[in-house]
Amino acid sequence: MQIPKIRPYLALTLAIALPGIELVVAGAAWAAQEHVVAQKNKSFSMKKLTVKVGDSVKFVNEDSFAHNVFSLSEAKSFDLGSFGNGGTKTVTFDKPGKIEVECAVHPDMRMDVEVTP
Amino acid sequence: MTTFASSAARLVAVLAGFLFCVAVFAQTPPKVPQGALLPKDSVDAATFRGGLVFANYCVTCHGINADGNGRAARLYNPKSANLRASDKNDAYYGLIIRKGGAALGRSEFMPTWEAELTNEQVSDLVAYLRSINVNKP
Repeated sequence: MQIPKIRPYLALTLAIALPGIELVVAGAAWAAQEHVVAQKNKSFSMKKLTVKVGDSVKFVNEDSFAHNVFSLSEAKSFDLGSFGNGGTKTVTFDKPGKIEVECAVHPDMRMDVEVTP
Repeated sequence: MTTFASSAARLVAVLAGFLFCVAVFAQTPPKVPQGALLPKDSVDAATFRGGLVFANYCVTCHGINADGNGRAARLYNPKSANLRASDKNDAYYGLIIRKGGAALGRSEFMPTWEAELTNEQVSDLVAYLRSINVNKP
């Protein structure tokens, strides 16, 4: 009776695959995240948000009128434009730093995003 | 005699008092209610109010001098409009303020303000923009 040669192949397969699986799992842990910030009652749903480099923030307009999202901060300057009820805009933060986010339509709407390495 | 003298003296005193009161009231300026310096419906009042609207909502992009050099102007290309040199009429101003830039084929970054500003604020703002425009008719 011939001894099945499955085991050596299985061991070899596992030896090759396991590090790959570990890398995928570790990669998932380090993968960029998407944070959600609502705009409601003329204010951002949070005053401060800490994210990691590579993370993105999705702004959701939950008011019945238009909002805007922009920043003039050194670490990230952008204007996502204006968008109405139910609209969303996303920005990705690619550099560490402190970013002050504002709404051009409502001057009192402000929040801070802290981007950590 | 004494009665006549007494009556005459009283008459002179009353007359003197009357003249004194007339003199005092003639020098007192009429009372003007505070804050009523400009009639509400005057162009000057609208221009003043429009300046406040501009300072609150528009300076970020158009700048405090309305010359397009606001602190956010560097984000945009083409840059924010120089409202001092604008050749647009009041109807156009009202339209672009209410509907935003994209609706008129201009910058998409000019928001629509019709949900934020009242009709009076928009017309005040137009009055202010007209007042600072170098192309005044």
